[in-house]
Amino acid sequence: MNALAAQALISARRALHQRGELAVRVAFYAIILVIFSALWSAAAGANGGSISGYDAHSLLWYVAAAEGSVIATKPRMIESIGWDISSGAIVTEMLRPASVVGLRLAAELGEALVRLVCSLAVGGVIVWLYVGQPPSAAGIALFVPASFLAVGCNLAAQHAFAGAAFWLRDARSTWFLYQKLVFLLGGMLLPLEFLPTALADVARALPFASMAYVPARLASGHVEPWLLLVQAAWLAGLLACAGGVFWAGERRLEVVGG
Amino acid sequence: MLAISTHELSKDFSAGRGRDRRRLRAVHDITFEVERGERLAYIGPNGAGKSTSIKMLTGILHPTSGEATVLGLVPWTQRRELARRIGTLFGQRSQLWFELTTRQTLHLLSRIYRLDGDDARRRADELAELLDATDLIDQPVRSLSLGQRMRCELAATVLHGPEVLFLDEPTIGLDLIAKQRFREMVVRLNEELGTTVFLTSHDVADIEHVADRVVVINHGTIIYDDQVARMRRSLLQTKLLEVRFEEAPGALAIDGVQVTPESDTVYGLVVDTRRLSVREVLDELLDAYAIADISVVDPPLEQVIAEIYGGRT
Repeated sequence: MNALAAQALISARRALHQRGELAVRVAFYAIILVIFSALWSAAAGANGGSISGYDAHSLLWYVAAAEGSVIATKPRMIESIGWDISSGAIVTEMLRPASVVGLRLAAELGEALVRLVCSLAVGGVIVWLYVGQPPSAAGIALFVPASFLAVGCNLAAQHAFAGAAFWLRDARSTWFLYQKLVFLLGGMLLPLEFLPTALADVARALPFASMAYVPARLASGHVEPWLLLVQAAWLAGLLACAGGVFWAGERRLEVVGG
Repeated sequence: MLAISTHELSKDFSAGRGRDRRRLRAVHDITFEVERGERLAYIGPNGAGKSTSIKMLTGILHPTSGEATVLGLVPWTQRRELARRIGTLFGQRSQLWFELTTRQTLHLLSRIYRLDGDDARRRADELAELLDATDLIDQPVRSLSLGQRMRCELAATVLHGPEVLFLDEPTIGLDLIAKQRFREMVVRLNEELGTTVFLTSHDVADIEHVADRVVVINHGTIIYDDQVARMRRSLLQTKLLEVRFEEAPGALAIDGVQVTPESDTVYGLVVDTRRLSVREVLDELLDAYAIADISVVDPPLEQVIAEIYGGRT
């Protein structure tokens, strides 16, 4: 087993052992899901049964998939990576004969996949009980790899954004911006079709859509396999971007003192 | 054979913003060589440039100018290649994963260093025994005391059998017993495995107990480079004693000892070890007075450095 796989496996085991943290996060997700289910059911009902092509049934599966894909990653991760860079804590990782960003991504991926599976299992049961089975079995089959790709895109993008700390010394503002972009342009709060057409087109062309909108679109019954290719392309691009940012950043790191 | 070689190595940092932005020289034209198997103490007060030097030698920082090789490699351009052959321990920065046990950390490190699984397990057990950490290795790192953690940090640092060991203030924050134990372990690793030791510290005792050669750096410049035995003879000629008496001792005078009363019952004594040993002073005190407490410390590094400067003028 190589270092990245070993790191991911150890992190996944650690996430499984931190039952309290996992339970709180899944419970938080379930509460959000119940609130959003009620909200979007009412909104669809008030709009003649559907909004922009989504009925209440597909909307709730959309919300479960979008929220579940995003909630799998750690909150404020950009801030904590930025702190490790600006405080110099990252130097111990630079002393290992392996990619700093690669090991960090593997660690986060191992944990995130555990949280993703647990959250979606609970979310799936809640929505199934609320509105019935998923709109499309094919859509759900596509959703499974899409949700993994979504987590990968999200983690890679967060590391790329956090790498700004090599230059800015503080990634807090970056985190604030990133979070809003995922919420709105990533389709986490609402399907992109609900946005004005021009803004929706822009949002679809950005990587944030691959983090929430794509898996949610597939889970809501839209069988559009090409979306997986879009995600895969973004994942490759974002990984290259994160790797490039760390590569350049590590070369200009200035750590004064012990 | 050389383990480390530097030639006029310098590092500047930028400080301030806008118009106040200026360059600060942390390390200035340092040149020295370290033979394989040598135990070098690289010492200096806070802000002297010790950590900056070590970070350049391990490839973390790029120098502003000058050259350096470690095991024949240029650290900042061949960092990962070098990382397989050196071990680095920062006293103020942990390399262990706090949520894992040390054994899990060692397993992960064995994958990172691409060690054979069976060899790595055997080496982890050997190190646990050598570092007296067999009862610690399966505990979560977060539950270890600082002294225990430093033993595990050392195990993680030498798991892959580094040829050069960089220790950056490894004894900082440790109590006296833990410090002594740590120093003994470093010497054992050097003697049993032939590992070159490059130790930075601002604790004079680290020099005496670990190193056979000392380089003193101050304000980014090397001001002293000699064998520890010679330094001891020429510079470390005093020991400081703080003595607390059960009751006021009255007039206290010992030949070769400078006495400074700090209160009625507490006295500071500076012992000139060229004239008499600490043991002789202790014997004399214990025979003549009721002693509540005694501590013996080395002169602070600032005093040693002042003596180095004093000796030059």
